[in-house]
Amino acid sequence: MKLKKYISLYIKETAAVMRNEYREIFSDGGVMLIMIFALFIYATLYGLAYGNQVLRNVPLGVIDNSKTTSSRMLIDSFNAGPNTYVAYEAADMEEAKRLFYERDIYGIVYIPEDYERKLEGGLQANVGLYCDASYFLMYRQVFQEIVGAITTKGAMVEFQRLVAKGINTYQAKNVSQPVIYQSHNMFNPYLGYGTFVMPAIIIVIIQQTLLIGIGMIGGTWREFNLYHKLTPHGQARMSTIPVVLGKALTYFSIYAVSVSYILTIHYHLYGYPMNGNPLTVIALILPYLLACIFMGIAISTLFTKRENSILWMLWSSIIILLLSGISYPKEAIPEWLFTIGKIFPSSHAVEAFIRVQDMGATIDDIMPQIAALWQQVFIYGGLALIAIHFILNQELSERIRNKVAKMAKSVPHKIVRKIKKA
Amino acid sequence: MKSFIHNTYAVFRREVHRIFHWKIYLLLMFVLPAISFFLFSVIFHNSLDSLPIAVLDQDNTPLSRQLVSMVDETPTALVAYEIQDMEEGMALMRQGKIYAILQIPALFEKNVMGNTQAKVVFYNSGCNITINGLLEKDVQTTVRTFSTGIQLQLLQSQGLTARQAMALALPINFDKHILFNPYINYSYYLAPCFLAMMLLIFTVLLTVYAIGTELKFGSAREWLDTADGSIMAALLGKLLPTTIAMSLMTMIMYVVVFKIIGAPMNGSAAMLILSALVFVISYQAIGIFFIAVFDNLRLALSFGGGYSVLAFTFSGLTFPIMAMYPAMQWFSYLFPFTFYMRIYVDIAMRGAPAMFAMADLACMFLFLIPAIVMMPRLRKLCSDEKYWGKL
Repeated sequence: MKLKKYISLYIKETAAVMRNEYREIFSDGGVMLIMIFALFIYATLYGLAYGNQVLRNVPLGVIDNSKTTSSRMLIDSFNAGPNTYVAYEAADMEEAKRLFYERDIYGIVYIPEDYERKLEGGLQANVGLYCDASYFLMYRQVFQEIVGAITTKGAMVEFQRLVAKGINTYQAKNVSQPVIYQSHNMFNPYLGYGTFVMPAIIIVIIQQTLLIGIGMIGGTWREFNLYHKLTPHGQARMSTIPVVLGKALTYFSIYAVSVSYILTIHYHLYGYPMNGNPLTVIALILPYLLACIFMGIAISTLFTKRENSILWMLWSSIIILLLSGISYPKEAIPEWLFTIGKIFPSSHAVEAFIRVQDMGATIDDIMPQIAALWQQVFIYGGLALIAIHFILNQELSERIRNKVAKMAKSVPHKIVRKIKKA
Repeated sequence: MKSFIHNTYAVFRREVHRIFHWKIYLLLMFVLPAISFFLFSVIFHNSLDSLPIAVLDQDNTPLSRQLVSMVDETPTALVAYEIQDMEEGMALMRQGKIYAILQIPALFEKNVMGNTQAKVVFYNSGCNITINGLLEKDVQTTVRTFSTGIQLQLLQSQGLTARQAMALALPINFDKHILFNPYINYSYYLAPCFLAMMLLIFTVLLTVYAIGTELKFGSAREWLDTADGSIMAALLGKLLPTTIAMSLMTMIMYVVVFKIIGAPMNGSAAMLILSALVFVISYQAIGIFFIAVFDNLRLALSFGGGYSVLAFTFSGLTFPIMAMYPAMQWFSYLFPFTFYMRIYVDIAMRGAPAMFAMADLACMFLFLIPAIVMMPRLRKLCSDEKYWGKL
């Protein structure tokens, strides 16, 4: 009988919390922006920024002091590939440098005067190659294209020379290239930048918007004393479990919708890899969302003002993205820091998610990460319960103190002393 | 003019008082930037450990093992697993234990010795472009060096001198000059980028918070009265402490970047310091704009914060602006950070003469315009109680 009463009370309280949370979120532009729109805005804007996926047609400058058919042919080969084109032929290094500083070109090739003479005389010709490594992607494209062109050209010259020496063409080919190097990019064949970076960004945004958004609402509860206002009639204070459960269910329902949209329609629109089994994706995303939500609820109890969560937590987004091992290899991050970073659910989820979606990793392959996330669900869930319990008690005792203080003003001292003794 | 300075000073004093009494100011000005600087210097100071790969050596001869150990000796690649078949390698990759597989097919040594072309295949996962690039570069170079070595041996065995063999094997040699960032160090350009990102986030938040709290807690008129009704003096006095604190932080940022992380500094220090100051001021102007538009502390913080974290992607440091769609290229100019990073790269890394940074510096000043346009509205917000106490 008593149990039944408790259950119905709990359900009522949970429903009250959920009603309040929905109202809180949907009537407040600031919270809506973070918990609902941010995911779409960022996924779209970042997606568009990386929309082209690959860098093509980097402009080069060439200084051709040889001015011969051979040097012309070499220059033409820089235009042949997709990555670079010769935008300027500079008269000297000074001019090339000026073009470089003005950002008209991003690499310089210097062909010396004796280029053709040396090539035809069976000697080694030299070509100067000036790349800029200030922008990494730029450097890679320029370097690959030019070195590739020069190597191909060199192999051709060698082949011709060997044939001229009277070696048969089959042997000449083998001598000029005894070992062929082939490389394959297995899961991102065109090395698209968006394909590489967006899945990680999306996962991190989910966590950060949850943490900040829940923190904002938590600050609101404290600032407006909702813990008191939502207390059911006849109760001293709200029960702990319905508060945590009601909050968690509300946030989960909202993110279940937006994350489903992002991982299906948005993913299709932008053509991101979806090689994972949908069930594996769910098995990973479910504990991830729960871990983020409970962590958010636990942290949110620390904020006394609604604006505080964004002030305290926005900056961490950048560091967390870095610690996820995407923009910077995790092998380059000190181990202790990487270990600390593991307190965030994203540290487990990003890497596992990429393996699932890019390589089609199975549940077995990502078991360690799924286990770590469930572990966090329980740890942060426990912390959330403890923190909310603590805050509810604190709020209640504060209320009692205030009441006693008020009564003290109207009641003779004798009685106050009696109450205090009791 | 004299009264203007007097009024500004009055607000300045009032603001300093606020800063020392509200702990969140100090948190945003010094504590969090210091923590983030520390974390970034720890991250970027650290060197890259080797990246694990697997080797599928189907030849298993002295020659193939020589190639494997050459790959293992490169600074980036670490041969962590020797596998028996591709299946095993794929499983390791799916479990996140390796980034790539190097396959040396059977008959490798026999073909090389027997004057038949041999083949080496490198399977890169491609999921992480950065790691992909690092591995690809080292492994490709190693195989090429290995191949050239064999060629030289072959040619010399046919009676050529070493010099003749070299000219024949590599008819076109290239001298590689890396113009700037010669160490091709990834952290040398990421470090300043991340540290400056931190500063701009805190600058926007601080500015919005400093003005927004006056509205939220209804002290806006008192603020304006302290400035004797001059919105110019009120703003200047209010923002000056933040400008000073943040400029100080930019100096610390340069110390971290150049002294601790050891990034190259090839140009005018004065220009770099000046541009950092303008950078801070331009983001303060953006903060003014956001709070004036939304007249609500939290909404302005949400929008301002949301806007400020976008800057990283659109600065083009990782994915060049040149490669973006035209509309996105225009969008990237909505962030002072884009211009500041251009100046940084020009001056510090490329050592360009200061005059090449002038245009970018001027662009950063343009971000003051929205704030100036919003001035009348801000005055109205401060004097009309109906805008106060918004949550």
